[in-house]
Amino acid sequence: MDAVVANIAPQILFAPLIGCLLIAFVGPRLPRSVSAVIGCVSVFGAFALTVGLALHVWGLPVAAQRIDIPLGTWALVGSAHIGFGLWIDPLALTWMLVITGVGFLIHLYSVGYMGHDANYRTFFAHMNLFVFSMLLLVMADGFLWLLVGWGGVGLASYLLIGFYYDRQTAVLAARKALIMNVIGDVGIMIAIFLMFAHIGDQSFSVVFARTDAFGTSALDWIGIWLLVGAVAKSAQLPLHTWLPDAMEGPTPVSALIHAATMVTAGVYLVARCHPIYDHAPAAADAVAVVGAASALFAATIGCVQYDIKRVLAYSTMSQIGYMFLGVGIGAYTAGAFHFLTHAFFKALLFMAAGIVIHNLGGEQDIRKMGGLAKKMPFAYWTFLAGTLAIAGVPPFSGFFSKDSILDQAAELGHPWLFAVGVLAAALTAFYMFRLFFSTFIGEYRGSVEPHVERVPTMDIPVGILAVLATIGGFLVLPGHDTFSALLSGAFTDAIRPLSLEHFNWALVFGTLMVVAAGIVTAYAMYVISPQLRGDVSRRLSWLRALLLDAYHVDTIYHVLFEVPAYAFARACGIVFERVVIAGVPWALAAATNALGGLSRGWETGYLRRYGLTIAIGATLLLYFVIFGIHGDAAGTH
Amino acid sequence: MPQIPLTDYLALSAAMFVIGLIGFLVRRNPLTMLMAIELMWNAGNLVLAAFARNFSDMSGQVFVFVVITVAAAEAAIALAIVVMVFRRRPDVDVDDISVLRG
Repeated sequence: MDAVVANIAPQILFAPLIGCLLIAFVGPRLPRSVSAVIGCVSVFGAFALTVGLALHVWGLPVAAQRIDIPLGTWALVGSAHIGFGLWIDPLALTWMLVITGVGFLIHLYSVGYMGHDANYRTFFAHMNLFVFSMLLLVMADGFLWLLVGWGGVGLASYLLIGFYYDRQTAVLAARKALIMNVIGDVGIMIAIFLMFAHIGDQSFSVVFARTDAFGTSALDWIGIWLLVGAVAKSAQLPLHTWLPDAMEGPTPVSALIHAATMVTAGVYLVARCHPIYDHAPAAADAVAVVGAASALFAATIGCVQYDIKRVLAYSTMSQIGYMFLGVGIGAYTAGAFHFLTHAFFKALLFMAAGIVIHNLGGEQDIRKMGGLAKKMPFAYWTFLAGTLAIAGVPPFSGFFSKDSILDQAAELGHPWLFAVGVLAAALTAFYMFRLFFSTFIGEYRGSVEPHVERVPTMDIPVGILAVLATIGGFLVLPGHDTFSALLSGAFTDAIRPLSLEHFNWALVFGTLMVVAAGIVTAYAMYVISPQLRGDVSRRLSWLRALLLDAYHVDTIYHVLFEVPAYAFARACGIVFERVVIAGVPWALAAATNALGGLSRGWETGYLRRYGLTIAIGATLLLYFVIFGIHGDAAGTH
Repeated sequence: MPQIPLTDYLALSAAMFVIGLIGFLVRRNPLTMLMAIELMWNAGNLVLAAFARNFSDMSGQVFVFVVITVAAAEAAIALAIVVMVFRRRPDVDVDDISVLRG
């Protein structure tokens, strides 16, 4: 084991936790700005250490880049040994770099964005708790500790969605997110149970080395249950409904948790479990299909929503659908690459949108925006960079990563998934430019005059992310695939080729045409001709209503699950509560009382009667002892 | 000196026990009943001692001492109860002390 890695890795993990505890316990006695400093410094420290660690690991030979650091024993149950340790490889490092790097930028942004909030300290404590949990998730060396981190990010997400706890919608959204996520947690738990049932271990090193001991059917089941967890955490169909509601949280939270990091945990899980999915074709296909379906589903909804953050939330769901599509077909590096660029451009979009919202005094409805390009040029240019990146316009980062996934889908023989991906790409270009045009172009439609305030701590992270979103894609160039080379240490045992350097120029050109069509349509409808927009929405009013309500999924879940659950609860309240809970003890008491009534006659209170009873009893006992129960004397034998 | 046979001891013991038992059952004065109980204790003690002698095993005799000790403790408690009852009602009849009936 590598001593450098063993020394640095635990420090990366625990720095944010220490920051969280310091803010929670020492913070209240110090000025409020100190809490923000602690939060930022601890995450930045973790980032600096991660960079050092990454440089070190990438300096090692490829075969030695997967490092397991056992830190101790967590439990010994029977013959099962459950350890606690860290697992460092290029895949974990990619996520760690984004979590700490983008996490630090968002912490910095929060210093300005949350500056006026009364619960400033709580916010940073929760954010640090999130960074710690997320690091634990990606650094754990077994499924059990991965699940601990998995639950931890769910908790942090719950706390931060419900951060404005005096708003009922925020509290309800937080609860919804928690419930949906717990469904996923149970899925992962079942997968762990299956692993224990088959090989009696849950650590990555043992499980991945012994995938042949499971059999394809068991691996498929494990893959499906892991997918349930991934789907819930990454807001994919059919457990996606919490993500749009999660936009009730503060915008930095949306950027960090619900765009850049936590919601991509499902992608990480599938990529991490590639030895399982490589040998579980049905589960892997399910991942890809769920991803493609979610990508298209969310993209259609994004076309009609009015809340700037909800549009971004649906676009997140859609982009994670691409990542699922990528890792589902076995193109793990393509999925991870899209995760990386998505973290840049989506965090950028959220934070640029956050500047707009901040300056408009909390307004999030794009119908009350418009023409903000002149008033907020910085937000305009950075948002434009993010929009071009997510739409997949070269040379912005999203072009390279999205194209990698589509290219691999075509190459690995999934024409339908490819077609869905291209369609979703067109819709993405359309709805993102619709959002962009509605916000920044045309006339200002709001009633309150924007109060433009330049906060350096907000502008700097947005500027850095804008640069990254612009150039991040150059990690993969035609014929020169740096990203796959960096990740190859994590995928030495993957069965499909992972290099992304192959560019199918016909596909690239076709996709670009489709994207251009999406942008032109948006331009026609939202800049040139509002009349065309009116015509289209009148013609397709039924579709518009369907999409505005997000395919009525919330209503369907309400009818399918909530209504029966409430009815069941009410029935229980009447039947179970009154009959079983109240009735059974009452009946027991009555029976005991009646039985007591039968025997209480014996208790006369007369001492001599007791004496006589004892004497008769003793005599009978003696008789039976001597003569036996049948009357033949024991002594005669 | 002629050996007294074991059966004689047992017969005496049985007689003592029955007298004690009948005394306990027919008398209503608590002091008399206590004395009857003592008679039953000692009938048991006699059996123990007789068998100990018959089998030349000292443990029976040792056990007699244990029984005597316990009997003394029992008598002390019983007499304490009797004294307390005397304070409340001068003419003691155990049949009157039947408050704790079912």
